Amino acid sequence: MSKVVACYKWVADEADLRIDADLSVDFSRVKGKISDYDKNAIAEAVNIATAWGEKAVGLTFGTAKAKQSVKDALSRGLEEGYWINADEAADADGAAVAKALAAVIQRIDDVGLVVCAEGASDTFARQVPSRIGAVLDWPVVTSVMKIEIAGNGLMTVRRLDDCMQTVKVQLPAVIAVLPEINTPPIPGLKAVMAAAKKPVHEFKGGDLGINFTPKTKAVEFKGYVMARKNVIFKEGEAADKVRELAAALRKEGVL
Amino acid sequence: MAGIYIYSDNNEIAAEIIGFAKRVGKEAVLLAFDEKTAEVMGNSGADKIYLLNGESELVESYAKAVAELLQKEEAELFAVGSTARGRELAARAAGYLDCALVSDVSALSYADGWFLAERMMYGGLVQQRESLDGLGVVTVPGGKFDPVTGNAEVISMAVQADRRVSLVETAPIVRQGADLSQADKVVCVGMGLDKEEDLETARALAEAIGAEIACTRGIAEERHWLPAELYIGISGAVIKPKLYVSLGVSGQIQHIFGIRDSQLIVGIDTNERAPIFKAADYGIVGDLYEIVPLLTDALKKQTIDRPE
Ligand SMILES: Cc1cc2nc3c(=O)[nH]c(=O)nc-3n(C[C@H](O)[C@H](O)[C@H](O)COP(=O)(O)OP(=O)(O)OC[C@H]3O[C@@H](n4cnc5c(N)ncnc54)[C@H](O)[C@@H]3O)c2cc1C
Repeated sequence: MSKVVACYKWVADEADLRIDADLSVDFSRVKGKISDYDKNAIAEAVNIATAWGEKAVGLTFGTAKAKQSVKDALSRGLEEGYWINADEAADADGAAVAKALAAVIQRIDDVGLVVCAEGASDTFARQVPSRIGAVLDWPVVTSVMKIEIAGNGLMTVRRLDDCMQTVKVQLPAVIAVLPEINTPPIPGLKAVMAAAKKPVHEFKGGDLGINFTPKTKAVEFKGYVMARKNVIFKEGEAADKVRELAAALRKEGVL
Repeated sequence: MAGIYIYSDNNEIAAEIIGFAKRVGKEAVLLAFDEKTAEVMGNSGADKIYLLNGESELVESYAKAVAELLQKEEAELFAVGSTARGRELAARAAGYLDCALVSDVSALSYADGWFLAERMMYGGLVQQRESLDGLGVVTVPGGKFDPVTGNAEVISMAVQADRRVSLVETAPIVRQGADLSQADKVVCVGMGLDKEEDLETARALAEAIGAEIACTRGIAEERHWLPAELYIGISGAVIKPKLYVSLGVSGQIQHIFGIRDSQLIVGIDTNERAPIFKAADYGIVGDLYEIVPLLTDALKKQTIDRPE
């Protein structure tokens, strides 16, 4: 069989974002993370590669900050890291991201499968895996919650809004997995140490021959705040807090 | 033919998008992949229904053919219902067209030759508005527009499928839970619940106030204590009840996205710093195992005491 590529994104942790009074978004205290569900994609890529007796490698597209993701990704069982370093990644849209990832997938020798998560935690646009498939003109299967090896292809179980589907796909292919497909193991100390020694290949965005200009024009980017009463009963006996809440609900007329 | 091209495996969403197209004065062309849909949607106000016939049962595998059709017809917009099938078809078509795709729009409008789309980012913390120039693709959740009526002309055409993916088996998902989008009151349980049996505590409260039971993603997808259609959030149900009460829900942004249109939000959680309290109108900091039985009792009495 051939190599498995796990695509992942280094994202700003949304838990660190602050919305200012003027609704502007404050990124100053933000730490990065591998997008939550991408950890499932990495784990699934490793599982399939192991079953094939092949290598799973990681691939990411990001600004210089994304470099710190590579070691984390490699500690999750991937054998090699590929990362595309591009300033343009800061405002790249799904079209540019997919083209950049596809360009490197084509430069990696003998890829049989690309595994992505359904969406990244920052944009959650759920479009990149399908677009990679289109750029490469490979078959695509999304919403996958189970993968089994079936001869030269894969048998997958998809969860759609109205049904479960069993779908067979020929390789090479792009698969987008749901987070329910596995529970990614937390890397142990040994895996973290070993990650430091694994090969890392860096590509420069400018060398890929891609136009990174976004296809849409962002005309507004602002924080969302909900105006809520925030009346929180925290002191005193449970019975008193309950009485106060019950009184409030009655007054609100929602019962 | 120029205009807005529309697809959804959910006929209601398709009808709503047709309504949008007609209201902004565009031709509406519905793509259907089977005769039944073409028939059912015959009076939904589309100008034309293109009935696309091919050899695959998987709509997504016509992405390339759809992209070619959109290009040939000089479509102005491809608007697709935001369901799993729709999202894949939309993104693959956008990939073949190398054009814009705005996913899961929270608003969509048209003015002065531009489509303007709004969407959420960072789990709902940030709102972005984008304008589309030239052919673009959007995916649209249900409930955004009102449908219209009017007869469509049905035109059949043959299309090529990607045969590298084939359907082996389909098993319908039997809906077990209530339709949360219509619920008046909702009691939502989170991972703060220790054991599956403890759902009874939540059910007793729900029963006392006449609420439906719902949950966070982990309760449905990791612990499988409740069916998947009962989890609320950006990847689950979006609700707009009069009253939402959470029990042991931390209130992460992805969950809050699904409840932000609730009239009143109440949170019960042991952790005073849990984000649910920032999203709540009322809250109790406390152990749900202590609070919920007391609250059930108090509200049961109130409901009975209240004069009709
Ligand atoms: C891309 C993406 C999409 C997502 N989509 C969704 C979605 O659609 N819906 C969704 O729900 N989540 C979604 N999530 C997950 C989300 O980020 C949170 O992880 C999830 O909502 C947390 O669920 P929870 O509040 O039940 O659990 P936790 O965050 O574990 O919270 C449990 C809470 O219970 C409290 N608690 C514990 N014991 C008690 C007790 N005895 N009494 C009272 N309180 C107690 C704790 O203090 C804590 O606040 C998504 C995540 C990502 C990255």
